[in-house]
Amino acid sequence: MDRSSEFDKMRHVASLELMMEWMPSPYESQEINRLTLAHFAISGLAILGALDQIDKDRVINWVLSLRAQPKDKAELEKGEFYGFHGSRSSQFDRHDGKQQDLVPNGSHLASTYCALAILRIIGYDLSSMDSESIITSMRQLQQHDGSFTPIHLGAETDLRFVYCAAAICFMFNNWTGMDREKAKEYILRCQSYDGGFGLVPGSESHGGGTYCAVAALRLMGFIEADILSKSTLWTTINVPLLLEWCIQRQGVDGGFQGRANKASDTCYAFWVGGVLKILGAYHFLDKNALRRFLLSCESQYGGFQKFPEDATPDLYHSYYGLAALSLLEEPGLVPLCVELGIPSPEII
Amino acid sequence: MHGRPRNGPRSEESAAKAGKLRDLQAQLLHNHHNRIYTNEARAASARLLEINPEIYTAWNYRKLALQSNLKEVTDVEAIKAFVEEELRVVEAALRQNPKSYGAWYHRKWVLNHKFSPANFDHEYWLLGRLMKLDPRNFHGWNYRRFLAALSNVPEVEELMYTMEMIDSNFSNYSAWHNRSFLLSNLLKQKAQGFVSKEKILTDEYDLVHQALFTEASDQSGWFYFLWLLDQTVSPDQPLVASSWPAHGSSWVVSTNRSKSDCRLFPFESSNSCYYLPMSIVPIILYFNQPVSGVSSSTVTVNSVFTSNEDITWRPLSLAKSENAHCWVTYLKISDARSNGTSSVEISLGHSQDIKSAHGSPHTCPVLLKFTIELNCIDAEQPGGEFGEELFVFNSDQVCLPYEDFPISSFDQLKISENHAPVASSWDVETLSNEISLFKGSPDDNCKFVKLTLARLLVAYDAMMSERSPSLQKKTHSEEVLKFFDDLIQLDPVHAKFYEDQRSLVILDQVTFDKESLMKNYGRLCKLASSSHHYHVLQLNKLSLTRIGFVERLLWVQILDLSHNEIQSISGLEALQLLTCLNLANNQLNSFAALEPLRLLSSLRVLDVSFNKIGSYLIDTKRYLCSSPMSHTVDIKEVIKEFQDTEIADYWEVIFIFKELQLTQLNIEGNAVANDNLSLLLKKTIPGLIWLNGDRVQ
Repeated sequence: MDRSSEFDKMRHVASLELMMEWMPSPYESQEINRLTLAHFAISGLAILGALDQIDKDRVINWVLSLRAQPKDKAELEKGEFYGFHGSRSSQFDRHDGKQQDLVPNGSHLASTYCALAILRIIGYDLSSMDSESIITSMRQLQQHDGSFTPIHLGAETDLRFVYCAAAICFMFNNWTGMDREKAKEYILRCQSYDGGFGLVPGSESHGGGTYCAVAALRLMGFIEADILSKSTLWTTINVPLLLEWCIQRQGVDGGFQGRANKASDTCYAFWVGGVLKILGAYHFLDKNALRRFLLSCESQYGGFQKFPEDATPDLYHSYYGLAALSLLEEPGLVPLCVELGIPSPEII
Repeated sequence: MHGRPRNGPRSEESAAKAGKLRDLQAQLLHNHHNRIYTNEARAASARLLEINPEIYTAWNYRKLALQSNLKEVTDVEAIKAFVEEELRVVEAALRQNPKSYGAWYHRKWVLNHKFSPANFDHEYWLLGRLMKLDPRNFHGWNYRRFLAALSNVPEVEELMYTMEMIDSNFSNYSAWHNRSFLLSNLLKQKAQGFVSKEKILTDEYDLVHQALFTEASDQSGWFYFLWLLDQTVSPDQPLVASSWPAHGSSWVVSTNRSKSDCRLFPFESSNSCYYLPMSIVPIILYFNQPVSGVSSSTVTVNSVFTSNEDITWRPLSLAKSENAHCWVTYLKISDARSNGTSSVEISLGHSQDIKSAHGSPHTCPVLLKFTIELNCIDAEQPGGEFGEELFVFNSDQVCLPYEDFPISSFDQLKISENHAPVASSWDVETLSNEISLFKGSPDDNCKFVKLTLARLLVAYDAMMSERSPSLQKKTHSEEVLKFFDDLIQLDPVHAKFYEDQRSLVILDQVTFDKESLMKNYGRLCKLASSSHHYHVLQLNKLSLTRIGFVERLLWVQILDLSHNEIQSISGLEALQLLTCLNLANNQLNSFAALEPLRLLSSLRVLDVSFNKIGSYLIDTKRYLCSSPMSHTVDIKEVIKEFQDTEIADYWEVIFIFKELQLTQLNIEGNAVANDNLSLLLKKTIPGLIWLNGDRVQ
């Protein structure tokens, strides 16, 4: 690989450390997803091998404080999901009044995934956690068609939450939280005519949807690692078309687009690149061109922009930019567990 | 973060905005908590959502509020007012963020509940305005599909809408996508006007031509074209594509009572033979697509060796699926006691239980016949074949005399010609029309034109080869190879992908017919300790990246694939006669890539030297994150005699080699090779005689 242009790791460490303490005002609207933002910052530092910079106990306590827990077994069976709140602002204080039973619980699947990801990365032993209430109550989020709603009150159901559910079961190594067969059927219905996956059945192929589909199938054990080099059997999904779709997402500028006829965008270097990695087809992409594109999205202050011409980086693209560079095996970066979308804890 | 107050520099304006947000948020939580659903309370949540549609708690609150308020009212107008309020809040939120999942969902949720009759004209008008601003907004397209289903708009009408969108802009990939989605449904339902797939696809080809010749460098039309091509060529019905032994072939089996192995000679020639280490003759059925349901009740084997009921068919696949291209069973020659000739008949097609993955049954009756003459001798024969003596692959082996080719006619392997239903020639004609059309294209330097032509020619050759192998004397391989060479130059970003596609074309070219194979790739070899010759197929130095066309190679016993670029050997599991395999100097990058070999019970000699096994950090760490279900065998059974450290370091080695009965293995020149691995290999493969060219003590 041509590494003549330099990747300056320290600049990203500095920027993420800053984000840990203070976030710029454009993130206001993301307040509700604070755990997700924390995941990007912490997991980003983990990819950079800079986890020693953070106070692990404080982070663990903060993450655990966002957990929703049922009072007792009876409450657990009422149909609510007991996972993690996205932030303090969706969390009700359970000790503030008499009407506790009425308190709506705002646990969200994506927040739960992010919480577990942070805990796993930081080295918290997930098996020491009482996972039963999360797993048991999560099962009720699965719909008849196999998809998942992220909150028990009901919201859009799509592949993002099937993926979150699969990742949660995988991290707890407990698959009673979902009906895998049904989830698989739903995922297969999302494969589009061009081989990619849309977020819901019938929708247009999308880089993020395709990642959620393939990574979830992998986590659930329906496709093997390196499916291209190992299996002749492609009846689960149409692999040749999927491959073609993924490969053609790499543009002449080296970057990946999320959908056909769209501009290359930093994050799809991870979403689509990750699919190629899981399929065992990563060698088909032009790695030098991709690396050049990613470095062109790097901000001089650290972090990554969505597009090369953007003025400011953001946390989401910073994380997936680093994740994509890790897939490219950039020296000094921690390898990813690609199907979980986080660095491998065993290596950190 | 983490609950700390933010204390950076902020403008007064944004401080005021944040204050307002905090205030509205506090009101929301208070109202949500206390179930306050008054006008004022709802207005506060609406203001919050207008500023930040991402706050899903507020959408949830509004759902509860609406349901609670509607319980109190019965008046139609009052209900309508409540519903319209929700739709207005969604509109305001979408103005703030047209891609807000929560806002779109809320609108669908409200309409889905049918609290009051929906004003679909208004919905379509609003959607139209939004799609004008961003014709690719996939939330918008999803919402359109939702509206069409809810208001029972026939799919034909929606199809017309996609036409409008395509007409106004050929590059609108989303419109092409929706068109393919609707068409697939209509064809599946055989809706009125959509009964003939051939007619519809012909019209679609015409439509896509307009787009392609208007904007040849745009991806949208090309992907649609690819879909059409896939619809045109994918086989509906499963058929047997080839078999081994070939139909009409005759064999002489030479066995020795004191030994477990035997030799199989073609009846016409005693110069060369097959070595069968366990005296079993595999019967291989190769289908044109993966099928399930092959068993002694769907396939009947009549022979003196085994009664049909005792025959077990096995799918040759690694995945835990019941579908496989290739199915195998074994005849135990050693069971036969007396000399003499007997025939073996295999028939299928009498039952419809052999099915493709999509559920199409195999319906063509097929009858395969071959004969076996037993020749049992008592005399001791010299030489432990492919064991005692080090077998060396070398390129100066004897070229195969033409008449000694192990199959008397190459076409014998292909058996669907006689049995294929007389299909309409529509697909062949369509392909050749498309080929001439694109050959006349003025944009012949466009990468999509070249790629499409390559695809069309490959599909045409494959179709002709399946339909009438004996008529097809020539393929377009040279032309296709030229296209891929051009593409690698024209579009270097995707060069690796084109190289992989080109590899299959090369393999097609060299295995296409007997002449081609004989001329360049067939060899004979002989072991010093034996008087027999064996066939070697030499496919080295061809820049191959993977395996294909295995249905033409079922007869191969010794295969030399060295000095290629092979990364995957998937497909080789069909070569049930394979005894010696040379994969030296390739690009295999893990032991896991050798998994297909686990299905080759005859394999004795394997050379994987000078590959890339162990060269990649990611690969060696892979199973740290491996899925608990991804392995098809009971791991504990396989590995019980190994220590924990051995399992942790070499799990895949044990997994792959424990199943094989190798006598020779060469793994030198790989990053993974070291003394520990050698020790482990000797332990894993007790019968190993040669490791890395040295005799095992």
